[in-house]
Amino acid sequence: MLKTTDLGYWYDRQENSLFEHVNLEFKSGTSYAIVGQSGSGKTTFLSLLAGLDKPRAGQIELNGEPINKIGLTSYRKSHVAIVFQSYNLFNYMSPLNNLLTAMAVTDSSHRGDKAFATTMLCKLGITDEQMTKNVQKLSGGQQQRVAIACTMVCDAKLVVADEPTGNLDEENTKYVIEQFQKIAHDQHKCVIIVTHESDVAKACDHSYRLAKHEFVLEG
Amino acid sequence: MNFFKRAWLNLTAKKGRSILLILVTSAIMLFVLAGLLIRNAADSATSNAKRSVGATVTLSANRAAAFKQMRSRSSTSKTSRPKLTTSPVKLSDAKQIAQLSNISSYSATVSTSANATGFDAISTSGNSATNGGMGMKGGSTSGSGDIAILGVTSTSSTSAFEEKSSKMTKGRGITTSDEGTNHVVIESELAKQDNLSVGDSIKLKATTGTKKTYTMTIVGIYKASSSTSTQQGPGATDPSNNVYTSYTFANTVKGSKYKNTADSVTFKVSNPAKVSTVKTAGKKLINTSKYSLTTNDSSYQTVKASMDNVKSFADKIVWLVAIAGTIILALIVILMIRERRYEIGVLLSLGEARWKIVAQFFVEMVMVLVVSIAIAGVGGKFVGNQLGQQLVSQQTTTATTSSTATQTQGGQPGGGGSAPSGNRKPSGNMNGGAPGSSTSGTSTQKQAELDVSVTVLNLVELGGFGLAIMFLSIMLASGGILRLQPKKVLID
Ligand SMILES: Nc1ncnc2c1ncn2[C@@H]1O[C@H](COP(=O)(O)OP(=O)(O)OP(=O)(O)O)[C@@H](O)[C@H]1O
Ligand SMILES: [Mg+2]
Repeated sequence: MLKTTDLGYWYDRQENSLFEHVNLEFKSGTSYAIVGQSGSGKTTFLSLLAGLDKPRAGQIELNGEPINKIGLTSYRKSHVAIVFQSYNLFNYMSPLNNLLTAMAVTDSSHRGDKAFATTMLCKLGITDEQMTKNVQKLSGGQQQRVAIACTMVCDAKLVVADEPTGNLDEENTKYVIEQFQKIAHDQHKCVIIVTHESDVAKACDHSYRLAKHEFVLEG
Repeated sequence: MNFFKRAWLNLTAKKGRSILLILVTSAIMLFVLAGLLIRNAADSATSNAKRSVGATVTLSANRAAAFKQMRSRSSTSKTSRPKLTTSPVKLSDAKQIAQLSNISSYSATVSTSANATGFDAISTSGNSATNGGMGMKGGSTSGSGDIAILGVTSTSSTSAFEEKSSKMTKGRGITTSDEGTNHVVIESELAKQDNLSVGDSIKLKATTGTKKTYTMTIVGIYKASSSTSTQQGPGATDPSNNVYTSYTFANTVKGSKYKNTADSVTFKVSNPAKVSTVKTAGKKLINTSKYSLTTNDSSYQTVKASMDNVKSFADKIVWLVAIAGTIILALIVILMIRERRYEIGVLLSLGEARWKIVAQFFVEMVMVLVVSIAIAGVGGKFVGNQLGQQLVSQQTTTATTSSTATQTQGGQPGGGGSAPSGNRKPSGNMNGGAPGSSTSGTSTQKQAELDVSVTVLNLVELGGFGLAIMFLSIMLASGGILRLQPKKVLID
């Protein structure tokens, strides 16, 4: 569903490019892990897939259509859901309102469906009491689960996550990865996770390693 | 319109910050409101003053032209002594001018004199009736008596009564219904000396024309304040010898050729700002070589000047506070937006349009504004009252000073305009020609009543200002939002 052709990116000079001529394909219903050394450019690569930045070379196609043609804002709105290490949530809202806001902003087909949002939060182990109090009063693991729930209530078929388990303990990490797997397999979405944890990489269907400016399939 | 909901959630979740914002905004709104209140009060006080002060246009003989004529005649013929010939104002001319727009009413004045018959005029030491008469005689066409007859349309429309330097004490004043009658209003001192009261009759003997004796019926007694006496020009008889009659009677005394004329006619201009327009229009209706139109709006100008001062001061307050408020709020909003970079990044990553993010901040500030305006509305009355009082006490001093100044310069036109008929007359209280300090005094009191109350309209106006301030500060601060890269925010 998502294809990169001759993708290249550098910050200041082309000689220092992080990667060049990247030709990868990501399929729906599948989860991918991207691993690599710190500073190798994983986050940068992910931000290109998420439409948060424009590539310096090459292009990204979504189902055959270049994403810059879709427009990065509407691409983010309708096609990608993003999860970050620092739980991208509105800190002045309850978990429930976070989900409702994400649904409203992305024009989700479940827009305004409170019961649906509650069910999703329930599935991720957020209790009814936690749902309505401020999201900052939840633990890191709980907050990340709320952020994951946000991607589940949106229609986006592509879910990208940058070190979603970076702040979590082992148990929470396992739980979160299980959820990502469910998103890929049950909701038939394409999940791409950047991680430095080998356990997480192993749990994904495929994993790429970014080393020496190239992506290598590991498993 | 999800940004409305987000704005509401944000304000209610971050109560401390919201309260701080409301306090700052209230303070700014309070100052703007105070400025608006004073400005509006000054506005309405100005229009009140315009209505109450009033300005006049006086139609009288053209003295300057008459003098010129006299001089040219004296140079050609040396046989006879030159005579100043002026034409009395025709009432038909006056009626035409009265038809002009902005003229609310008019009153005619005819001055003459007669001798008291069967009662005594008041004589002032060193200024006996006859001496006083001789002093003014000059080129007069009529002799002088010891009683000065002031023929008027109505006593209430004379400047002496309007300025309250003369007051009716018994009976009634002369009105238009007295036209063609021998009704008279006399001064209280004269009444006391001769033991006269309302309903009594007195006899006046004309000094010119038929030299007939008229029997007058006293319909009222007035009291002239002492200030009027001090304003008497030299050569005038005691002001207590001034009697008011209908102008028709004064004309009868002067002689048959004076029928339907007047020494001068004073027109009240309903909108003092239009005085010069009225004068221009009026000049087209008269023979300017024979008659002249003089304006008097100095009291109005005095009041206007002092009110304009208050207004421009209030205007400055409004603008100063609005500009300062915009800067302060813009800085606060910029800081707030910096603090909320992460939230903006999350919204951008969700694909929210940037203008909707700006709209959310705007809605938040408008919600703050609504509460602040309510608070400012409560506090504004107090602040406005204090400021208004302060301004009025300053302005009253200014107005009094300037009105004293105008009085010394402005006393002439009225007296000058009516002098040609040669009759003795007290120059101080005639024709509305003298913008006495009493007029300005009254208007100064009007200023002191600066009405500083908060109306719904004030709050609407304040809301407009507030919205403009909010809009500007959000626009100034939103540059940050529009440039913000979601990647940087989320990845750092
Ligand atoms: N805004 C920037 N300007 C210039 N250089 C940058 C910028 N952001 C990142 N870099 C550089 O690009 C390289 C890749 O950064 P990136 O964040 O993609 O690495 P990463 O693989 O995600 O590392 P980590 O595992 O530590 O998160 C780094 O060497 C970093 O210093
Ligand atoms: Mg990274």
